[in-house]
Amino acid sequence: MNPGVEQVFPPQGFSLRWYANLANRHGFIDAARLTLILAFVSTIVSVVVGLLAGVAITRFSFPGKDLVLTVLLSPLIVPQVVVGMAFLVTLSSLGVVTSVISLAILHCVITLPFAARVIVSALAASSRSLEEAAQSLGASPARAFLSVTVPMIRPGLVAAAIFAFVTSFENFTASQFLVWDRTTLPVELYNFVQTESDPTAAALSSLILLPVVLLVLVFNNFIGQQMFSRK
Amino acid sequence: MRALARYLIFLGPAAVVIGFFAFTMSVMVRTSFAPSLGPAIVGEGYTLSNYAQFVGSSFYLGYLFRSMWIAFYCTAITTVLGFLIAYFMYRSGPRTRLVIGVLLIVQFFTAYVIRTYAVMLVIGRTGILNSTLLDLGIIQQPLSLLFTEFGVAIGMVLVSLPFMVFPIFASLQSIPPNAEMAAASLGAGNTRIFWQIIVPLSMPGVAAGVVIVYLFELTSYIVPGILGGGYVDMIANLIYAKAMQSFDHPFAAAAAVVTLLVSGMTIYLLQKSFRLLSPRT
Repeated sequence: MNPGVEQVFPPQGFSLRWYANLANRHGFIDAARLTLILAFVSTIVSVVVGLLAGVAITRFSFPGKDLVLTVLLSPLIVPQVVVGMAFLVTLSSLGVVTSVISLAILHCVITLPFAARVIVSALAASSRSLEEAAQSLGASPARAFLSVTVPMIRPGLVAAAIFAFVTSFENFTASQFLVWDRTTLPVELYNFVQTESDPTAAALSSLILLPVVLLVLVFNNFIGQQMFSRK
Repeated sequence: MRALARYLIFLGPAAVVIGFFAFTMSVMVRTSFAPSLGPAIVGEGYTLSNYAQFVGSSFYLGYLFRSMWIAFYCTAITTVLGFLIAYFMYRSGPRTRLVIGVLLIVQFFTAYVIRTYAVMLVIGRTGILNSTLLDLGIIQQPLSLLFTEFGVAIGMVLVSLPFMVFPIFASLQSIPPNAEMAAASLGAGNTRIFWQIIVPLSMPGVAAGVVIVYLFELTSYIVPGILGGGYVDMIANLIYAKAMQSFDHPFAAAAAVVTLLVSGMTIYLLQKSFRLLSPRT
């Protein structure tokens, strides 16, 4: 259904004051900053870690490969609320105070399976023969990988990065267990929606929504109708 | 030795991240067996009292059963609607597909909180839905949809739809176009083609969608939280409340473990039954 956040009430005239209000409420700005930091960190971590593990799974031969992949993807089947709960309980029982680091680890755990899944399928689909050809021409395995395979799977890497970023950015249910004085944007938004009823939340939502819509439309112009046309 | 270094470098980091995950999960399981000695005080030793408290009380079990029931009928509705949308996309020309596709993809990138908030705006007292219905004269007073199970159900379906449409559409796209032509040339009418060719061949997509959506709805926190406003709490809300408001970690942990077990079993049963329903390939 349409995520479009149009007008809250039959519009009593257009006004930008709710957007201005956003800037005044430091809570939102700080939350946005934290959310962005977490998203960047977990994206970089999960893409790198996912790539390394993906290479091992698709290129090396060792017993129990399927098991490794399953374990790598296991956080996906655990409900968000359980993951958040688990982190909270662990921190509490260790006597550790929640901080950016604990939130970052949480986000990495959550985003890694998403990134890994995309990367592994990209790697699996990429042909090894080109890489082997480069090696037979004298390139070291590392060089062959970096110069041949990585550019080949670049769309997959980009997709993985996008998935990871979005997953971290929008995460609410698990993150809410680990917030303290500082919150993430979704948590801040949720709390605001629960307690106040002015359209500031709508302004925030629109701000987040607009780039997304633009991005998708721009993407479509490049990828074209490939995604939806018949084969 | 060199081989070991290779595995360490490539699989090590992943092992670390998953290690954190496994560690937190095991601490949670351990805590579920710990006696709860008051707010934020977790005792030593082991006990089944948390589980007994959860399973033995119709109040707490009620959360679980209500969640399972809501998730069940919401998933059913989502499946039907999702199939219709996917099928419509399948039968449409490229431009319509693009428009619907973009609408759906945008939702993937929009946070649940925002989408649920959007639903809240639409079905609220002063929202678009009520305004339209009032203007059309269909109702005299605004419908009170928020804070009711009905409102939560609406939200669940709307928020879950993209997860259902895409797998089904992907499945539909993988149906060889010749199949329909072959059936038609053998004399099958449209209805027959639909029910005996298209639906069975779309089952893998339907199965994937159902599993994803049911699990999501069963353990949903945001939708009942925002649209239910405390009146339609589901199991995830209970876990959060017990952990962050009552500070009863052992009990919340036990509830979480039970939820996890129920989720796991549900995935298993759903996949098993869909395998039975799928045509032999």
